Amino acid sequence: MSESALPLPLEARPRQIGFRRKTARVFGELREAVAQAAYALRAHRLRATLTISGIGLGIAMLIGILTVLSGFQVSFLRQLNTLGPNTLFVHKWKWGVNGNDWWKYKNRPHVTQLDWRALEANANLPEAIAPIVSNDASVTYGGKELKHVDVRGSTSKYLEATGWQIRRGRFLTDLDHELGTDACVIGADLEEAFFKGQEPLGQRLKVGPSTRCTIVGTFVRKGNAFGQPQDLRVLIPLSAFTRSFGLKRGLVLSVVAPAGKVTQTEDEVISVMRNARRLRPDQEDNFSVNRQDKLLQGFNQMTLALNVVGVLIGIITAIVGGIGIMNILLVSVKERTREIGVRRALGARRTTILLQFLCEAVMVSVMGGFVGVALGAGAGKLVDVLTPFPASVDPKVVIGGCLGSILLGAIFGIWPALSAAFLHPIEALRYE
Amino acid sequence: MALIELEKIVKTYDLGHQKVPALRSIDVRIERNEFVAVVGQSGSGKSTLMNIVGCLDVPTSGRYRLSGRDVSDLSDDELADVRNLEIGFVFQSFQLLPRATALENVELPLIYRGVSRKERREQAEHALDLVQLSDRMTHRPAELSGGQRQRVAIARALVTQPSLLLADEPTGNLDSKTGEEIVWLFHELHEKGNTIVLVTHEPKLAARCPRAVRLVDGMVVADGKGRDVALANAEALGAETLAAFHAAQAAQGRQRVP
Repeated sequence: MSESALPLPLEARPRQIGFRRKTARVFGELREAVAQAAYALRAHRLRATLTISGIGLGIAMLIGILTVLSGFQVSFLRQLNTLGPNTLFVHKWKWGVNGNDWWKYKNRPHVTQLDWRALEANANLPEAIAPIVSNDASVTYGGKELKHVDVRGSTSKYLEATGWQIRRGRFLTDLDHELGTDACVIGADLEEAFFKGQEPLGQRLKVGPSTRCTIVGTFVRKGNAFGQPQDLRVLIPLSAFTRSFGLKRGLVLSVVAPAGKVTQTEDEVISVMRNARRLRPDQEDNFSVNRQDKLLQGFNQMTLALNVVGVLIGIITAIVGGIGIMNILLVSVKERTREIGVRRALGARRTTILLQFLCEAVMVSVMGGFVGVALGAGAGKLVDVLTPFPASVDPKVVIGGCLGSILLGAIFGIWPALSAAFLHPIEALRYE
Repeated sequence: MALIELEKIVKTYDLGHQKVPALRSIDVRIERNEFVAVVGQSGSGKSTLMNIVGCLDVPTSGRYRLSGRDVSDLSDDELADVRNLEIGFVFQSFQLLPRATALENVELPLIYRGVSRKERREQAEHALDLVQLSDRMTHRPAELSGGQRQRVAIARALVTQPSLLLADEPTGNLDSKTGEEIVWLFHELHEKGNTIVLVTHEPKLAARCPRAVRLVDGMVVADGKGRDVALANAEALGAETLAAFHAAQAAQGRQRVP
């Protein structure tokens, strides 16, 4: 044993921990806590893995639900935009009506050509007004029949009012409507079904039981909206439609408002309609002016409910995971009771012990968080690829998942950690 | 100024339905660089005394001054700091962290003191050098023998340069030969100027200490030269122990007595 190297207790040593040492102490303790926690988890791999996967599943579920819901929302908004943001729809029915009011709307008068003419004559703001009526009918060409084709009657304003585009040929003119000609424009699905590689223009179709039409143009493919195909469609002049199918359903008037004046236009349309229908001031409107943002409100209410349910499910799963953390931490405290006693004897404060076990809890939950975020994002990507819904992973959700998992560990770790910190050093040392 | 001043120390354990007196009015002074053995049968209060001297517990009443500072009613955190700064513990069952290497075990109290990583490593290596374990620094406790483990524990107690080295039955878990080595180590540390309080029930250990204190039923019944107190203790324990004691003394005579 080297003689000079022995530490001698000095008589007048300053026996206090200074500020510089306090920061060094905090860092040293933190580093040691992390190292010990990592070691403890590695030593009990199975236990840790089970808990981590529990938390991971919880957080994955939460992220998955939120991602899919936001995907729905994005796809709904995209489809809503196909209606045109500045378009008002004057209709007997109000969009998004529940069953309770059914009779009220059912008993309203149809929107007729009189209403249309009144709007054409008296409303100044609209840029275009297109009356639209539709019917489900079968269409035949060359011995081949297609069922459930959306046959629509409208006027030359239809393109302007709906944003549809002509691919080949021409659209209906005012003259087609005035004269009630047999002209028709067909959708992409019809064109594909009847005229693969052939010239459709000038060909004659049978629409419904008895009407014959000549194709004058074809539409650009539009794709699905709200899960419905839109391209299985024939457009004929309104006058020709009434002649063939009658006007039992009434019209929908598609009114295009100038940009930024949607509300004023809506007000004008309402007042012109009330005038045309001679409604007294004390009478309610017996028609509806529908806007796509109204549809959005209804949709938002529905998704809010789904969001709440999704978050609740996620929270419950997270709590289950948190209980798992609490469980392994309690076991860990129990196993390391003597170690806690030794540390306390060597000068560890209660906060030191608290920190050590909190560190372990947070480490477990953060690993669970990472697993969860990865799984959740993966599930979202899968939905995006395999289904028509565009499910995109929101970075906010990812950050929230990570922060949430830290919080989860801290919340469920605090009680076992406190119980460790408040062990009496002597009893901890004697624990067998 | 004495290092340890115990004045009328009383410790009573409250078990709810009854109060159990563990220490009744202990008055002991220990100067710097003393080597004191505390002897007594189990239940005599020597563990309780050690806990109080080691600042692991506070007395029910009485004054305890350590290096002139009154520590009899400090807060939990302050007691933790006193343990870290003033006291080095050596336990019967070594109490090393099983997952940490010898070096990491010795570094532990320095972390709580806020010593930087580099200094910590140097001081811990130095302390392990003192107990002749420089070649076992990266071994874990499971890879060390009992005597080596106790040496690591002693290095851990010494690394903070404590005012007081407090050993509780340090040879209790060791075979007699290894125990003897540890006792020699304590004597050497004492010679170098350390203050040591050794709690033991082995009369032959107490007999070799310059001073011994004997406790019976929570009271000091003898305080004097280690050999005398140990002899009295052995006599009190009965003829069988006395015979063992004399045999040990005879054996001791053939060795060098510190």
